[in-house]
Amino acid sequence: MKKILLALVLVGLFILPATLGFAVNKDNTGCGLGYMIMQGNDGLLFQVLAVTTNGTFANQTFGITSGTLECEKPSKFASREKLNTYVAENMDNLATDIAKGQGEYLNTLAVLMEVPEGSRSDFYVKLQSNFSQIYPSTDVTSVDVLTNIESLM
Amino acid sequence: MYTGSGRRYERSEICISFFLFVILYFISCISPVHARDVSYLEEVLAQARRQRLHEDPYWHILVHYKKKAFQFESLVDDPRFFLAPDGKTDPQAELEATIRAFFDPDNDESDPVACRFVARYEWIRQRLDLDPERFGTTGCPSFMDFLDRIDPQSATLVFPMAHLNSPASMFGHTLLTVETADKTKLLAYSISYSAVAHETFGPLFAFKGLFGLYPGYFAVMPYYAKLQQYSDVDHRDIWEYPLNLREDEIRKMMLHIRELNSIASDYYFFSENCSYLLFFLLEAARPDLRLTDQFHAWLIPLDSIRMIEEQGLVTDAVYRPSRTTKIKYLASHLPEDAQDKALALSHGDPFSDTDIPEMEKMMTLELAGEYLQYLYTSGDVPQKTYQQRFLNILQARSTLGSAPDETMYEIPAPLRPDKGHRSNRLAIGAGLDGDDAFSEIRIRPAYHHLMDNDNGYVEGAQLIFADVALRYYPSDNKVSLESLDVIDIVSLTPRDKFLRPVSWKVKTGLTRLTGYDDEDHLVYQINPGGGFAFRNDILGMMYVMMETDLALSGALKGNYAAGIGCSAGMIKCPADFWKIHVFAKTLYYGFEDHFNAFEATVQQNLSIDADRSISFDVSRNRTHNFYETQVKVLWNLFF
Repeated sequence: MKKILLALVLVGLFILPATLGFAVNKDNTGCGLGYMIMQGNDGLLFQVLAVTTNGTFANQTFGITSGTLECEKPSKFASREKLNTYVAENMDNLATDIAKGQGEYLNTLAVLMEVPEGSRSDFYVKLQSNFSQIYPSTDVTSVDVLTNIESLM
Repeated sequence: MYTGSGRRYERSEICISFFLFVILYFISCISPVHARDVSYLEEVLAQARRQRLHEDPYWHILVHYKKKAFQFESLVDDPRFFLAPDGKTDPQAELEATIRAFFDPDNDESDPVACRFVARYEWIRQRLDLDPERFGTTGCPSFMDFLDRIDPQSATLVFPMAHLNSPASMFGHTLLTVETADKTKLLAYSISYSAVAHETFGPLFAFKGLFGLYPGYFAVMPYYAKLQQYSDVDHRDIWEYPLNLREDEIRKMMLHIRELNSIASDYYFFSENCSYLLFFLLEAARPDLRLTDQFHAWLIPLDSIRMIEEQGLVTDAVYRPSRTTKIKYLASHLPEDAQDKALALSHGDPFSDTDIPEMEKMMTLELAGEYLQYLYTSGDVPQKTYQQRFLNILQARSTLGSAPDETMYEIPAPLRPDKGHRSNRLAIGAGLDGDDAFSEIRIRPAYHHLMDNDNGYVEGAQLIFADVALRYYPSDNKVSLESLDVIDIVSLTPRDKFLRPVSWKVKTGLTRLTGYDDEDHLVYQINPGGGFAFRNDILGMMYVMMETDLALSGALKGNYAAGIGCSAGMIKCPADFWKIHVFAKTLYYGFEDHFNAFEATVQQNLSIDADRSISFDVSRNRTHNFYETQVKVLWNLFF
């Protein structure tokens, strides 16, 4: 009897993962069962750590949710690259904050654009009231967005 | 054999000529500043031996040495992490090889040893008071410049809670973020350790994960990228615990993170996992912490937060709701017709400026925008359609100005996860099985039962692992195994206007089934189910599920029984400390063995405090034609 029990427990341990297989999302879900990075990331660590100083794909439209980061050449204009990258990779959340006239994504934009703290609320109002100029069409790219914002300043 | 060695000879010849070339190259272009003083190397090594530097706890933190039965062994498995051939098990050999390597002029200029092992270098330099002139290396100026530039200021421990509708993820994940001089949370660096797996076949994935067959790597990326994953795609609320690490401590931690770049350690889901590896980073920052030495047969990320708290590192807890939490929150503040309007907007209806309060208009549009993004990330709306609707909604929102009351965006935080009940549970109690009295003892290592207090957990989510129950019946004077729930997951996620999830369950393990002889037999059971849950203000959470059940046992005809049926129930908390679950379940078994099983149960749980509760269960069963009533009281202790 005990042997049968043991065998059954072992069967259970084999079934467990199968059940978890359907429990887990394909995306990263945690560091327990189900957490994984699907791509090999050899050497990824500091390539990515340097992302705020290196250029990434600096032009994006809406609907970017991947957060994928690919490094290209280092740039002399580190803070400019950082700004481009930030806007490119947060297009949708930033647009939401600009439309609302407040929010964390908007605050971060102000920090990166070095808007002095005293004039931030004016900056937010200006962006909000010029939303249609900043986002004139669905084809707007992150570079357009930045150019349009800068033309307002 | 002969040919083999011949080839090797050829290769070494090429190596020698290359080596000669390198030497000539160096002789021709090295300036006198780089000339190395070989006697100094011996001096430094002697000093290291005199100080017994290889026994220093910090050296053991940096190389991840742990005392095994007879010797030290590093938990790192990547050979590139060691400079001595026996470095994994010999701290002294590794230390001396490291010092020699720093001294070695021939190391790879693109990735010098002093950069690959920058924390080791900085520590050895300080401890032995090295003279860089005589030592012939300046360390890793590029990385030190990088640190100066980003100027790390503070560090935060981050805990994403369970994935919506996936209790398996309740086990969770912890990562660190490092905030830099600009102090914006979104631009902080997130540092996270995880397994790199290519498997999509569940059983193999879990098997390899449990037995350390995947390599684990650290990855660093901007925190906003992590947030997109957790908040916007996975729908996980996040808790951020700011740590009181000082700037110099964070710098030391960053040096160690640099060392772990591309270095693999075997990833064990339950022990050497994401949370355990973070302990090394924290110890590299503050060496007197005692985290990696605490015994772990398994380490649940939430428990790791409690351990870090016990070391006095945590200063606060900040709640960051996910997109779905925002959607639910906004919807809860809007009347029905405004919710319908938000739905219509996210499905492409144009915005008509009707005569409703400004605030309601704003919230309706914001809800529509969030919900549209939810639909897009769920793959329900194609990108082109999404872009058009999204811009229309935001454009309309931008004309309304900003909200007069910004506190409306502050979603009230639920109880902190670390303040909820602990993960292990011991229960003792007694009951009546028909006319037979019994006493029962249960123990489980993880994690949260539907009946446990939900404070700090996700409501309607259950993850039980290895719950063992033993019973003693005085009538036949023996202890027997009552049940063993190998895994028991329930995910009840209520459906509403916006979110339409499927609820499901899966249970497998040993349980009791009444046989033809009216005796309870131990059977192995696989019992999955799926259905829907709804929330009602008065009745609480209600659910219905289709279930199947496969039972395996020698006591059954043909050694198995396969059943299909359904269950329905409701869960209500009349007070924060009191939870009631009422359910009924009927299963019809066919194939070899034909019979019916019906069960009606009322469970109640009363919390005394976070880590103690009392539960009362009453159930009525009918299997074959045998009726049975069971009453049970258990005292639960979480530890």
